Amino acid sequence: MQQVKPAWRDGYYRAQVEAVRNLSSDMLEVILTPEKAWPSHIAGQHIALTIEVNGRLTTRVFTVVCGASFHRETKNIRLITKVNNEGALTPALSSITPNTWVNISAPKGNFTLPNTDKPVLMVAGGSRITPFIAMLEDAIENNLIHRAPVHLLYFAKPNEHVLQSELLALQKRANNFTFAVLTRQKDGDVKDYLSHFADAHWLVCGPNAMYEQVHEVAKLVRAPLDSEHFASLPTVNIESLSEKETFSLVHNGQHLSVNNQKSLLSQLQEAKQPVTYGCGMGICHQCQCVKKRGVVRDTRTGELSDSAEQLIQLCVSQAVTDLEIQL
Amino acid sequence: MLEAQLDAIKSEVKDKIGAEDAAYIRRIILIQRICEWSGRILLMLGFLQPLLWVAGVLSLAAAKILDNMEIGHNVMHGQYDWMNDSHINSKRYEWDIACDGASWNRVHNYEHHTYTNIIGKDRDFGYGLLRLSNDFRWRVKNLWQFATYILLSVMFQWGVSYHEMAAERVFFGKKKKNRKNQVTHSELKKHFFSKGARQLVKDYVLFPLLAGPLFLWVLSGNLIANLLRNLWTSTIIFCGHFTGDVETFKAEDCKNETRGQWYYRQALGSSNIKGGNLFHILTGHLSFQVEHHLFPDIPARRYREMAPKVQAVFKQHGMHYNTGSFWKQYTSVLKRIVRYSFP
Ligand code: FES
Repeated sequence: MQQVKPAWRDGYYRAQVEAVRNLSSDMLEVILTPEKAWPSHIAGQHIALTIEVNGRLTTRVFTVVCGASFHRETKNIRLITKVNNEGALTPALSSITPNTWVNISAPKGNFTLPNTDKPVLMVAGGSRITPFIAMLEDAIENNLIHRAPVHLLYFAKPNEHVLQSELLALQKRANNFTFAVLTRQKDGDVKDYLSHFADAHWLVCGPNAMYEQVHEVAKLVRAPLDSEHFASLPTVNIESLSEKETFSLVHNGQHLSVNNQKSLLSQLQEAKQPVTYGCGMGICHQCQCVKKRGVVRDTRTGELSDSAEQLIQLCVSQAVTDLEIQL
Repeated sequence: MLEAQLDAIKSEVKDKIGAEDAAYIRRIILIQRICEWSGRILLMLGFLQPLLWVAGVLSLAAAKILDNMEIGHNVMHGQYDWMNDSHINSKRYEWDIACDGASWNRVHNYEHHTYTNIIGKDRDFGYGLLRLSNDFRWRVKNLWQFATYILLSVMFQWGVSYHEMAAERVFFGKKKKNRKNQVTHSELKKHFFSKGARQLVKDYVLFPLLAGPLFLWVLSGNLIANLLRNLWTSTIIFCGHFTGDVETFKAEDCKNETRGQWYYRQALGSSNIKGGNLFHILTGHLSFQVEHHLFPDIPARRYREMAPKVQAVFKQHGMHYNTGSFWKQYTSVLKRIVRYSFP
């Protein structure tokens, strides 16, 4: 089947790479043409993109950085990502050539522009400005932005603000939209700004620490809050692995706490969870399951896994971060 | 020492595994599909020219062998799980033989590969039908075990399929620690019959019916293709495990064994067959049975480059590296079967 339709895979949609462009030294823009069957997105949603990296199917989640009307008119969607040279996927993405077929998931997530008459406050951190660009683009296109003003607070490290020219262009098209480019070092915390917007509907997208600050204030002033915050992947440092640490393990909707000293298999067994297994030494693959999220360590080699969805063998895996698996 | 050396061979190869191996298995799957469909079509053209029918049988047999050996066996060992491709994955792959994939996974992948040649634990040794070493008491039925062997070969896919059920009954009541029944007996039966029936219907009802008036041509073609595949796989597997100097082990010897000792047992419990490129592919690289038992989840095509290194390590430790030509290995299997027919 894949001979006729490259990258045809059960349960995925196909998309063809239209263009790959460098926006800056480490920002990459990818334009994709999804197949017709792909259900279009709502601005702010994300997709999982799967490409083959050295024979291995590798998946990462990306925000769709364009409005639904852009997709309708051009048949294309736009993704923007920071290239992480150590990462598994983004370096490969930068060398992908136009016309290649890749796989994408249906659009997911409910971080979208709220249907409200209140003013809207957007708070973005770092490269997580992308869903807001999509929302603004669609809102302006569909004349929704006239209802109430939209203000965006955009935090990043000095000189790491991206897509500023696009923000300016959006601001020109809609006089109801304003934004402020801020750095914590110079302008202080996000908290200092929030009090001015107590009557707005808040949207936050950024690192966890920022989300927590905003969340705290939102509770105080009872501002409605929508958020999308990816607990950024903890950086794993090999020395710390020998110290006993406890992580949370989510499987089939249940929560368990596991440590990094024993194999996941033995800890699941101790917790009387229904696991199948055989050899207990990594040969038979009976104990294999899908890891949805998190990093594990192979006890045989000490190798660390990828952080994305992957098959792992429970009997030779130890937790290195919080995990989610499917038994 | 042995452990470290073999681990080093493994990790060196592991670092190289990548796009090439993914492309290889996809190519083999493509070839298998082409063989299968051209075989099925040629079978129906037999009335034009009987030679076309013969070509069809051979092509279909080749497809079935590839599916069984280089694709099914190896994929189900998890050799390609790293690809993250749910179609080429040990949990999902279902092969074109009577044996339910999951059952094979339990018996072969777990028992046979963990407890290789430990009498009483590895139920593959002799399949409970043949007496292949002095570890078993001689019984009268062993007198005609050569005939049993031939029958087993002819029916091999059914033997493999029945294996887990037969074994469960044998061990019934004697539940060993560490052997937890993951599947109930009724489920076992259900899987056995449903998978078996599907195979029978496919080869002996569905495709022959599709051929309409050529019903018998296609039916007999499928029968012969299955037979050829059974004989081939059985022969290769016997050559890999039951040549003259393969050793057996006792359960006591293997308690708390280290990884190195496990390697050692794997090494002495299996034997290789020499041959050419095509031969290796058709055996699913089980002609490198020694390497396969040492590294069951390394993509099988890599065994070729590992073999000389493994052999060198064995030599250094004064261990016997069991290899030989097909005929040498096969005669030694036959001798073993005959030898243990008698007390
Ligand atoms: S139990 Fe055999 S590989 Fe994990």
